[in-house]
Amino acid sequence: MSEQHIHPEPTSFWRKYVFSVDHKVIAQQFIWLGLSFLLIGGMMAMMIRWQLANPGQPFPVIGRFLLPATHGVVSPMMYTALFTNHGTIMIFFAVTPIMIGGFGNYCIPLGIGARDMVFPTLNMLSFWAMVVATVILVASFFVPMGGAAAGWTAYPTLSTQMGTPGGGQTLLVLSLFIAGSSSIMGAVNYITTVIRLRAPGMTYMKMPLTVWGLWLTAVLNALFVPVLASGLILLFFDRTFGTKFFITGAMIKGGGDPLLFQHLFWIFGHPEVYILIMPVWGVISDVLPFFARKPAYGYKVTVYALIAVCVLSAVVYGHHMYTTSMSPLLGESFMVLTMIISVPAMVLFLNWLRTIWRGSIRTTVPMLFALGVVFVFGLGGLTGLYLADIPQDLYLHDTYFVVGHFHLTMAAAVFLGSFCSIYFWFPKIWGRMFNERLGKLHFWCSIIPITLVFCGMLLIGYSGMQRRLYNLESYEYAKRLLPMNQFVSVMAFTLFLGQVFFVSNFVYSVFRGRKASENPWELGTLEWQISSPPPHHNFDVIPTVIHGPHEFNNPEVLKKLGKDWLGQAEVIPGAEAVHEPAEIAQAGE
Amino acid sequence: MTTRNQVKVVGGIGLSGVIAAGLTGFVALMGLSFWIAGRAHIPTLQGLAGSRPERPIDISLNGHLGDYLFDLTTVEITILFIIMCIWIGWAVLRHNEKNHKAKYDHGDDKRANVSTAILAGLVFVCVDGVLLYNSYVDLNEVFWNFPTEAQHPVIVEVMAQQWAWNFRYPGPDGKFNTPDDIVTFNDLHIPVGRPVYARIQSKDVVHSFYLPNFRIKQDAFPGTTTRMWFQATQPGAFEIACAQHCGANHYKMEGAITADTPEQYAAWEKAQVAEAQRRYDPGDVEAHWGWEWEY
Repeated sequence: MSEQHIHPEPTSFWRKYVFSVDHKVIAQQFIWLGLSFLLIGGMMAMMIRWQLANPGQPFPVIGRFLLPATHGVVSPMMYTALFTNHGTIMIFFAVTPIMIGGFGNYCIPLGIGARDMVFPTLNMLSFWAMVVATVILVASFFVPMGGAAAGWTAYPTLSTQMGTPGGGQTLLVLSLFIAGSSSIMGAVNYITTVIRLRAPGMTYMKMPLTVWGLWLTAVLNALFVPVLASGLILLFFDRTFGTKFFITGAMIKGGGDPLLFQHLFWIFGHPEVYILIMPVWGVISDVLPFFARKPAYGYKVTVYALIAVCVLSAVVYGHHMYTTSMSPLLGESFMVLTMIISVPAMVLFLNWLRTIWRGSIRTTVPMLFALGVVFVFGLGGLTGLYLADIPQDLYLHDTYFVVGHFHLTMAAAVFLGSFCSIYFWFPKIWGRMFNERLGKLHFWCSIIPITLVFCGMLLIGYSGMQRRLYNLESYEYAKRLLPMNQFVSVMAFTLFLGQVFFVSNFVYSVFRGRKASENPWELGTLEWQISSPPPHHNFDVIPTVIHGPHEFNNPEVLKKLGKDWLGQAEVIPGAEAVHEPAEIAQAGE
Repeated sequence: MTTRNQVKVVGGIGLSGVIAAGLTGFVALMGLSFWIAGRAHIPTLQGLAGSRPERPIDISLNGHLGDYLFDLTTVEITILFIIMCIWIGWAVLRHNEKNHKAKYDHGDDKRANVSTAILAGLVFVCVDGVLLYNSYVDLNEVFWNFPTEAQHPVIVEVMAQQWAWNFRYPGPDGKFNTPDDIVTFNDLHIPVGRPVYARIQSKDVVHSFYLPNFRIKQDAFPGTTTRMWFQATQPGAFEIACAQHCGANHYKMEGAITADTPEQYAAWEKAQVAEAQRRYDPGDVEAHWGWEWEY
């Protein structure tokens, strides 16, 4: 464990709030960035849903200002740009900044007892690279021929000049490349910080599961984002310099193979699904025991299950390509490997469910959101069984069934998980309490419509309607699904409007909320033992960790200290001799 | 270290109050959404009942295999999901802070590990195992067991383009790219009761040849040939859809597939061959997009 000095807090505005190297400030910057893009991406989803429910009708109220050229009507070209950018924004510019950039930055140093990240300047660079990426992304809408329109998967040859001429797609590729660099910078930092800067006594098996989730996310990011970057750079060359890595066809002499991009994309793309969900799994693995006031059931097994999912995520990507006529041996192998992921996933669920069993549950807002994640991820994970199965996938592939499934797992679960994290760390980050009632109202106005929206999509897909369809009335068999789509759209609008409870609560509480105590949830992890918000250097004295993160209702603690929780560095009177790992001897500085 | 002066944040309106407030808020918001959507169509109850989610009619020999697996999966996961929901609901209501203190249990003893392993293993074998076995058999015996020359399948070359489907039958000589090829546009005719073996390519971008009534699809790539086979069990006119986003007019890429009785098909084929020979133009290189067939 390397020496960590206490640096004085910067006093100038720019160094303190803008070009800050403090992980807590960078975390907040990421969260604000992510939330704004969540709003933009959500607005795009509303326009998509509007077009599907009311084909050819002008978007109400603000449509005229958003789409002046068509008087508020979503045109086919605009529709393709909308779903392309909705996917890209939600994945790379909403979820990634909030969960990985924001809570990764906030929770890792505080959770392991460090004063900052190991590379603070790289951390700042990671955020500003993300800002550059967002600027380019927004610019891509204002170039001639409009925004990128090849889908978030950007399959060539549609994503080459052949299918999407114009600057929009090129800028999107560039923007994703820079966002990827930002992710890699963050990942390198997180991995090193966890390895190097754990407080004395903080062994790997005493880390909060949040830190485990975020750390494994960083490992996946460092391993697989470069694969996406390689695909993107080749695509960029194809678009700008006339190379032919992915271009081929009847009219083209020579040329490469568009299928190669799909391999590169999904080698990254499948781990990406776990990159998005892994932080949430970590957070709820902590939040469930925290508010059930019970130790996490099978902590070590949960950690091994998370690791197993990470390893398996690298070898299942082929299930995105079942309809590409791959070799039968390869297809069947991918099917078996995909199904095997359900074993560690099942273990995680069993441990979560057995954690809350015989607990003493406090139904706080973060707890409700955590239970909501278990609920929607249960739905999403189980519907994955259909799609892992090739005979069923031949029908369901590229239908709304897929859209419903992956939104339940990596949209609904991550959406609820992000709010779980925001409400949970709200007192620590901003030093104030949010309004509990508005929070609960927000929970119910999120979980009900979000479940109905994506379960409706599952039914629409089951009925055969394919995804990315501008107007379902062009197919005879899809026409009858219009009322179903209208129902889904109304639920989607309800979900969107329901976020007003969050926005009002958030904005009011950040500035005017009741002051929070240092440990309002009565927890034992390190960040809750220091003031809210924490001082610039986090810990006056680096704590020496003795216990795991979930020591709740320990009979000995109840008897001796009269409380149901125990700080990770707290000494039980008269019990020092029991915990004596060698490393504690060289504690402190 | 911490003192015991924590602010009381738990409790307040109680769980039932929370659920009631949540439902009220939800209904109010739904009303607002309806009001916004009210300028155009809103779903009526009759409309919703009319769009009962169900699969398109299955006219294929093998579509029922996937449908059966779908229904099987639905039964299995419904059981698992209901157990999970009851578990969560029971835990929240009964194992609540109002009822009792939590049990101090890390769940890390041998009994816990063994029970987790047994439960996970059991679910894997009973759910995934059954699906895997069935899929494996279906794939090897049906979906990826392509017709041989001896079975006399109808062979078709499919060329996708933005935004239409081209079909090429070899004609009487059984060879592609010859003057007697039947070439159709957005119009695929197949006989009932004979396997159809299609090889698929694309002229420009990636498409996906999707037959909802046959429960099957296969991607179309420029430069790579993919393949699929299917067989109709009853005559009728149905739709071909594109399932892969292929540009702004992706939604218009609709073709027709007609399943004919063997007699109708023979008559159609005869008329088409005559028409093909009449219209053949050796100078039109672009029309000769066919390729040599390999079984």
